[in-house]
Amino acid sequence: MNNMKKIKSFISPLIGCITLFFLGCEDPKLKQPRETKSDQSERNSTNSDKVDLAFTRELAREFAREFVQEFAKQINYKSFTFDANQSTGASNNSVLKTGLVDANGKPNPLLSHCSEDVLEFYQKNADCFSILSPEKIPNDLEWQDGSKEKEFSSPKAKRGGIFHAYMRDFPRTLRTIGPDANGGFRSYLLDNNVIGLTHAHPNSDGYYPGTANEWAVGNDGRTVYFRLDPSAQFSDGKPVRASDYFFFFYFMRSKHIQAPWYNDFYGKDKFQKVTLYDEQTLSVRFYKAKPDVVERVSIRPKPEHFYSELGGEYLTKYQWDPEPTTGAYVALPENVDKGKSVTLVRQDDWWANDKRFFRNRFNPDQIKVSVIRDNDKAFEIFLKGQIDAFGLAKTEFWYEKLANDHPLVKNGYLTKVTFFNQAPPPSYALRINSQKAPLDNLDIRLGFHHAMNFDLVLERIFRGDFVRMNTVADGFGERSHPNLKARRFSVDKAVESFAKAGYSKRGKDGILINGRGEKLSIEIMTGYKHFEDVLVVLKEEAKKAGLEIKLKVLEQTSAWKMANEKNHQVIFSAFGTFVELFPRFWEPFHSDNAYQEKGDLKYQENGKLKSGLTTKTSTNNFTQTAVRELDHLINQYREEEDLGQITKMAHRLSKMIHDHAVWVPAWKKPWLRVGHWSWLQFPDDWGPKESTDYEEFQVFWIDTEEKKKILGAMEKEEAVSTHPSVREYKKYMTK
Amino acid sequence: MIKLNPLTQKKLRRFRSIKRGYWSFVILLLLYVFSLAGELFVNKRALLVSYQGTLYFPTYGEQMSGKEFGLDYDYEVDYRSLQKKFQREKLGDWVIMPIVPFDPYEMDYANEESTGFSPPSWKAGHFCGTDKTERDVFARLLYGFRIAMTFSLGYLFLTYLIAIVAGSVMGYFGGKTDMVGLRLVEIWANVPFLYMVIILVSVMPGWWGVGWQVSSLLFIMVLFSWTGMTYYIRAAVYKEKARDYVSAAKVIGAGPSRVIFRHLLPNVISTLVTFAPFTIAAAISSITALDFLGYGLPPPTPSWGELLKQAVGNLKTAPWIVISTVSALVLTLTLVTFVGEAVREAFDPKKFSTYE
Repeated sequence: MNNMKKIKSFISPLIGCITLFFLGCEDPKLKQPRETKSDQSERNSTNSDKVDLAFTRELAREFAREFVQEFAKQINYKSFTFDANQSTGASNNSVLKTGLVDANGKPNPLLSHCSEDVLEFYQKNADCFSILSPEKIPNDLEWQDGSKEKEFSSPKAKRGGIFHAYMRDFPRTLRTIGPDANGGFRSYLLDNNVIGLTHAHPNSDGYYPGTANEWAVGNDGRTVYFRLDPSAQFSDGKPVRASDYFFFFYFMRSKHIQAPWYNDFYGKDKFQKVTLYDEQTLSVRFYKAKPDVVERVSIRPKPEHFYSELGGEYLTKYQWDPEPTTGAYVALPENVDKGKSVTLVRQDDWWANDKRFFRNRFNPDQIKVSVIRDNDKAFEIFLKGQIDAFGLAKTEFWYEKLANDHPLVKNGYLTKVTFFNQAPPPSYALRINSQKAPLDNLDIRLGFHHAMNFDLVLERIFRGDFVRMNTVADGFGERSHPNLKARRFSVDKAVESFAKAGYSKRGKDGILINGRGEKLSIEIMTGYKHFEDVLVVLKEEAKKAGLEIKLKVLEQTSAWKMANEKNHQVIFSAFGTFVELFPRFWEPFHSDNAYQEKGDLKYQENGKLKSGLTTKTSTNNFTQTAVRELDHLINQYREEEDLGQITKMAHRLSKMIHDHAVWVPAWKKPWLRVGHWSWLQFPDDWGPKESTDYEEFQVFWIDTEEKKKILGAMEKEEAVSTHPSVREYKKYMTK
Repeated sequence: MIKLNPLTQKKLRRFRSIKRGYWSFVILLLLYVFSLAGELFVNKRALLVSYQGTLYFPTYGEQMSGKEFGLDYDYEVDYRSLQKKFQREKLGDWVIMPIVPFDPYEMDYANEESTGFSPPSWKAGHFCGTDKTERDVFARLLYGFRIAMTFSLGYLFLTYLIAIVAGSVMGYFGGKTDMVGLRLVEIWANVPFLYMVIILVSVMPGWWGVGWQVSSLLFIMVLFSWTGMTYYIRAAVYKEKARDYVSAAKVIGAGPSRVIFRHLLPNVISTLVTFAPFTIAAAISSITALDFLGYGLPPPTPSWGELLKQAVGNLKTAPWIVISTVSALVLTLTLVTFVGEAVREAFDPKKFSTYE
C-alpha cells in the first residue's frame, strides 16, 4: 500500500508535466518562429516589430510613472511633482539652446522623423548635438571642393563583366560592425565601397569630395564644415539626410552594437560636437586641431530610415541583412550562398556614377567572392581562370610557381605586375622585451642588433626583393626619419658590445659566457610558422657572434597571448599599419603601456625606473619601453597640432627609440606583386600610389572582348602575346 | 639478469632462421649504429686537420675558432674553406673532411647563386639536395633518423616498463587491485592522446634546452600511451600465475616481486617481444606526424616531419626532398615491419603445440 501511494504521488506531477509539454507544443508562442523566405513577409514582420517596440515602451513608461508617484506617496515626499519633460535628465533650457526641440518639446524639422529613443539620446547628449540656424555658419570659411586634385581612374575603363575574387573563410555576418564583423570580407562591404563625407586622395595629401561637395576647416582648426551633396542617396533609393550623420554617432556609441572599440573611438571626448545647420550643411568638432582633421571627421552616413533605432536584437536581426549603402556595390540577402560565396551587385543608377572622382571606378557589374580555404588551392584555381587576380608577394609564387616562363605568362594569358607603392609597411621587427634579463642591459641589446644578419635573409630568402626597414616609422613620407639606418650585421661590433656587458669569453660550444659562467642565450618567439626559415638563418648566423638563439614557433594566438602577457624575451611580429599622415608612438613605446603606475610615478629622481613596478599586460608595448624623456616627448607629440613640429618630433622619437635599441627592424616590401588574367585591365600607371591591394580603389575593369579572345586562344593553344606579359610600374618608386 | 627459459631461446633461434626478418634487423641495427657515429661521416667539422705540423681532431670536443688556424675570425672555423685555403697555399697543411661535409644546421650559402632548394649534386656534396635554407637534406635525414630511432627506443623502454609494472601488479594480485587498477587504466586510456600532446608541448618553457624539450616530449607521449600494453601483460600474468611453478615458488616463500620478476616475467616476455617492433614503428610515425603538424621537436632540430612539411609545400620546386624523405621513411618502416613479422612468427605459440 505504501508503495502504491509513493507511485501515485510520482504519477500526478508526471502527468501534469506531460500535459504542459503537449500544451506548450500547441501554443504558437512557445514554438520557434518559422523562417519565412519571401521578402514581403520579412518586411511586414519588421514593421510589426516596430509597432511592438513603441507600444511596449509606452507601456513601460506608464508603469514607471505610476510606480514613481506611488513610491513618492509612500515615502511622503510631498513636494514631488512628476514632470514628463524632465525625463531626459538635462534641464529644459539647455536642451532648448541646442535647437534639438522647440519650446513645445517638438523636435526640430530636421529631426522630425527620428524615433523617440534616438531623440532622447540626442537630448541626453545635448552638449554633443545641436541644430543652429544657417546664419550661424561663419562667413570667413575657405571652402574647398578638391577640384585641384587629379582623377586617379582611367577614362578607358569599361563597365561590365563579373570580377571573381576569393576569401579564405565565409564571413560570419554581413554587419560591418559588432562581433565577428571585423573579418576580411568587410572591405567589400565597407572599406572599399561605402562613400563618406570626404576621402583622402591616394595620390596626394589632399581630399576629394564624397557625400559632401565642399568642406572647410574653421578658425579653431578643429571644426570642419561640410556642404552635403543633395544627390547622394542610399542603395534603397532613399536620399542621404543631414540627420544620418547625427545617427552615425547614435549608432557608434550604442551599447547594442557590442563594439567597445568603436564606442570609444567615436566617443564624446574625440568627437566633441556635431552641428546641423540645414538639410545641406553640418559641422563636426574634433578634440584637437590635428593637421589631418578633415580625414578624421569624415564619417560615413548611417541609414537612419533603415535602423530607426537600435535595440538588444541588433546583432541577430541584421546578421544577414546588410544595411543600404552609399557605395556602388550592394550585397543583397538573395545573393548570399551561405558557406560558399557572396555576390555583390553594381547599382546601375548609382548616384555617384558621373562624379569626378568616382567615374570610371567600380567597373565590374558583379563581384563574386567565393570561399577557398586553402591558399595553394586558390592559386591552382586562379591558374584555371576561375579567379581573376592573385597576390604574388611570396617569393616562391613569383619566381617558381608562376615563373616568367610559365606557359600562361609566356603566351600572354596572365600578366604579372610589380607596382611600387608608397604606404606604411607592416612593421616586421624583432621586439626586445627590455624588462627581461639579460636584455635589460643596453649593451646586450646593441650586441643583439649587430648579431642579427638580416642582410643575408633579405639577400637569400627574399632574393633581394625586400628591403631593410630602417626606423620604427618607415613609409610615412616626410614624417619618417630621413637618414636613420638600421644597425648592420657585424660580428666584431656585436662581440664588443657583449664584452662590455660582461660576456667576454667563448665557451666550449663557441657561445659567449660571462664571469659567472652563464651562457649568452636569448629566446626568440614567433607566431609566424611561415617565417621559421628566416629565424633559422638568424639563429645560425648569431652563433658567429657567440649568441645562442632559441626558437619558439607557436600558433599565432598563443604567441600573441604570450607577448600580451609580456612573457617573451624577444618576439618576431608585425603590426598592420594603415595610411595615416603621421605615425603613432604612444601605443608601442609609452611607459603607460608598460607599467600600471601612471606617468612619472614610475621614475626615480635620476630618471631610472623604480623597482617593484607592476607590468601592464595586453598593450602593444611589446618592448616594455619606459624612458622618461621618451614619455615626455610622446606626450607633447600627441598634443601637437602643427605639422612641422610633428615632423620634427617624429624624427626625434625615431632616433631616441633607435638609441634605446629595443626594436630590430626587419624588412619591408616596396611594392605590390599581383598576377592577374590579361582581360583584367588597369589604368596606365596601374593604380594610386597609396594602393596596398589591387581591389582597394576599384580602378580596374574587365575587358569582355579581350576575355573572349584569350579564352578562344587558349582553346586553340595559340599565344595572344609574343613576349611574356610581365610589367613593372616604377612611377612611385622611392630610393 | 633474467635467465631466458629454453622455450624463449628456441624462439630466438627460430627468429634467426627467418632470413628476411633477421637481415632486416641487422640492417636496421647497422643503420642506427651508423647514425650514432654520424659525426664521423656527415659533419661540417673536419675529421683531421694538420696545421703547422700539429694534428687536430675537431670532430668531437670543443669548438675551434678561426684564429687557431691563422684566420681573422673568432667564431667556429669553416673547415671547407680552410681546406681550400690550405690547398691553394701548398704549405704542407691539410684537412680531411667527412664524406658529406655538412651538418644538419648550417646553411650552405657559399654558392653565390643559391637561394634555397638546390638540386642534388655530387660536386657540391649535397647527395639529396638542399632544403629552403640551403641545409643539406641528407644530413638532416641522417640526424633525423638518429633522433627518431633513439626516441622510439626510449619510448619502447618506458612504455613497457610502466605497462609491465602496472599489468603484473593487476594480474598477479587480482581481485580488488585488478578491479580498481583496470578501471583507472581504462579512464586514462580515454584521454585523447594527440590533443594532450599538443597542449602540453605548447606550454613547455622555451628556456629548456633541446635535450630537455625532446625528453619531455618523450615523457608526455609515454604518459598517454602506456595503457595499451597493460592489458596484454595483465592477461598473460593471469594465465601464468595459475601454473604450478608459481605456486611452487610461493610455497618456498618467494615474495610477490621475486615471483613476478624472476618467475613470471621470463614467461611473459614473448608477448612483449612480438609487439615491440610495431611499437617502434608507431613511435616513429607519431613523432614524424607531430613534427609535420609543428608540435614536435623545436626548430631547427633535424626531423623527418619537418622535411615532409617542406616537401609537401614545394612538391614541384623541390621534388628531391619528398623523394628522399619518403624513401627513407618507407625503408625504415618496412624494415621494422619485417622484423616485427619475423618476431611474431618466431614467437607464435602454435608452432610449438604440435609434437615433433
